[in-house]
Amino acid sequence: MEKARQRWGTRVGVILAVAGSAVGLGNFLRFPVQAAKNGGGAFMIPYLVALVLIGIPLVWVEWTAGRFGGGYGHTSAPGIFQSMWKRNRVVKYLGIFGIFGPFLIYMYYVYIESWCLAYAYYSLTGQLASITSSGGFIDFLSGYQGVTDAGVFSGTLPGFVFFLITFVLNMSVTYFGIKGGIEKLCNIALPLLFFFGIVLAVRVITLFAPDPLHPDWSSINGLGFLWNPDFSALKSAKVWLAAAGQIFFTLSVGMGVILTYSSYLRKKDDVALSGLAAASTNEFAEVIIGGSLVIPAAFIFFGPQEIVTVAESGAFNLGFVTMPQIFNQIPVGALFGFIWFFMLFLAGITSSISIAQPSVAFLEDELKIKRQSAVKIFGVAAFLLCQPAIWFLHRGVLADLDFWGANFIIVLGATIEIVLLAWIFGIDKAWQELHLGAELKVPRIFRFIIKYITPTCLLAILVWWFATDWWKTITMQGVDSVNIPYILGTRLLLLAFLVALAILVRVAWRRRKTIEALEEDEL
Amino acid sequence: MTTAGWVFLLLSWGMILSLLSFCYGRILRGKKSNDDDIAKYYDQ
Repeated sequence: MEKARQRWGTRVGVILAVAGSAVGLGNFLRFPVQAAKNGGGAFMIPYLVALVLIGIPLVWVEWTAGRFGGGYGHTSAPGIFQSMWKRNRVVKYLGIFGIFGPFLIYMYYVYIESWCLAYAYYSLTGQLASITSSGGFIDFLSGYQGVTDAGVFSGTLPGFVFFLITFVLNMSVTYFGIKGGIEKLCNIALPLLFFFGIVLAVRVITLFAPDPLHPDWSSINGLGFLWNPDFSALKSAKVWLAAAGQIFFTLSVGMGVILTYSSYLRKKDDVALSGLAAASTNEFAEVIIGGSLVIPAAFIFFGPQEIVTVAESGAFNLGFVTMPQIFNQIPVGALFGFIWFFMLFLAGITSSISIAQPSVAFLEDELKIKRQSAVKIFGVAAFLLCQPAIWFLHRGVLADLDFWGANFIIVLGATIEIVLLAWIFGIDKAWQELHLGAELKVPRIFRFIIKYITPTCLLAILVWWFATDWWKTITMQGVDSVNIPYILGTRLLLLAFLVALAILVRVAWRRRKTIEALEEDEL
Repeated sequence: MTTAGWVFLLLSWGMILSLLSFCYGRILRGKKSNDDDIAKYYDQ
């Protein structure tokens, strides 16, 4: 007898869960840096174009495909792809990327998430407040990561303890399932995250110009640094690619998470309006809250000259070195520091639980393993595979995982998905499926965009990558020779994992066939 | 902050807030899905 499928509890629950998956560290750290580096306000032109031509169409594609596959009892990409192209025997193997991609991101994301929890704790205990210089914060971070022995921490152990706490929290939420775990957490964490974000944004903007010696170092001019347009940037292909990359990164498309989440919907549940609502919630967090925090705050305290260096120092430096310095200079800074890092932690955990779900769903629904056992199996595998990013961080392992997981595989996954839905499944059926139970009539122009424009943009990004970066990346050009064995070892581990996934897919389908044959015999 | 900066900020914020209020406004009004459409779909 078929067991009862997991379902979402409420409409708002699923929207918050998808938005929670999309709202991550990148919204608060990556977006403002990308905008400031790529033309300021003018960046919003390619950004919004990419949102309309790539982001929103892909959101609808994933919600639609996920709910369709869910109707056949599939909750992960291999089964969902198979349900869209039933006669093809290979397509289910292409769906492996919808499990492999998120798992790969999970291998380092939970570790970074644990830094946020640790820094929230160190803000409250006053350890961050006692640091007085930029160098001190850099030493604190590298000491915490176990990269250097700067005397603040003795090795990687404190970082590992926070990783363990974060990992157990993640597993606990996943253990309680879609409705009892993920939905419950997102119903609390997302509103709390927005509350913290708005409190911080108001605090930053109302700092005005706290330094009387520099009256032009104000929060409004800080917003200007982000928003004053540089139209010459629009002539650069790199700026357009950066905008497309940011849209991909921020909406969680192409990685199989939305496919899995929407597979738990019922056939007549709306996907058109829900998808758009989740995307717009993410945009609110990114553009309005994210754009009002890091860059304006750094501008106030470092001024127009140094802000360029600060913006180019990367997202981690901004979040874990620059921001704590700023909190040390404002009244009740320890509390605001805690709010900042805890907000990042909430953004992190609502994303990491979502990237765990495709793997758990595959074990549960394709291999017919009980949820609790599936979570345990996933937990052991994930725990072991998280170790390279923790212990070999300074060997460039985390950066390599990030490239494959958050850049390459999501573009590849999205290209496969959209070609499958718009061209193989057929745009007519896809359009009809999108509008089943829809509370929003999607403008007809999106039929054309989904069929022609979005796949063309995605193929162009892939071709561009193969033409410019492929060989350099594969052969690890520019990588320090000491680090090559570590990165190569991790890549071989990933390859073995990919092969293991292919075998599991084969096993699952063989088992399914045998069960179907037995049921037919019984009839 | 230049005038052009303000224009870009207000336009971007305006677009996102409008989209957000449009979506949640509709969700909160709770328009039910069209069962006839679904029936038609399965009849095909």
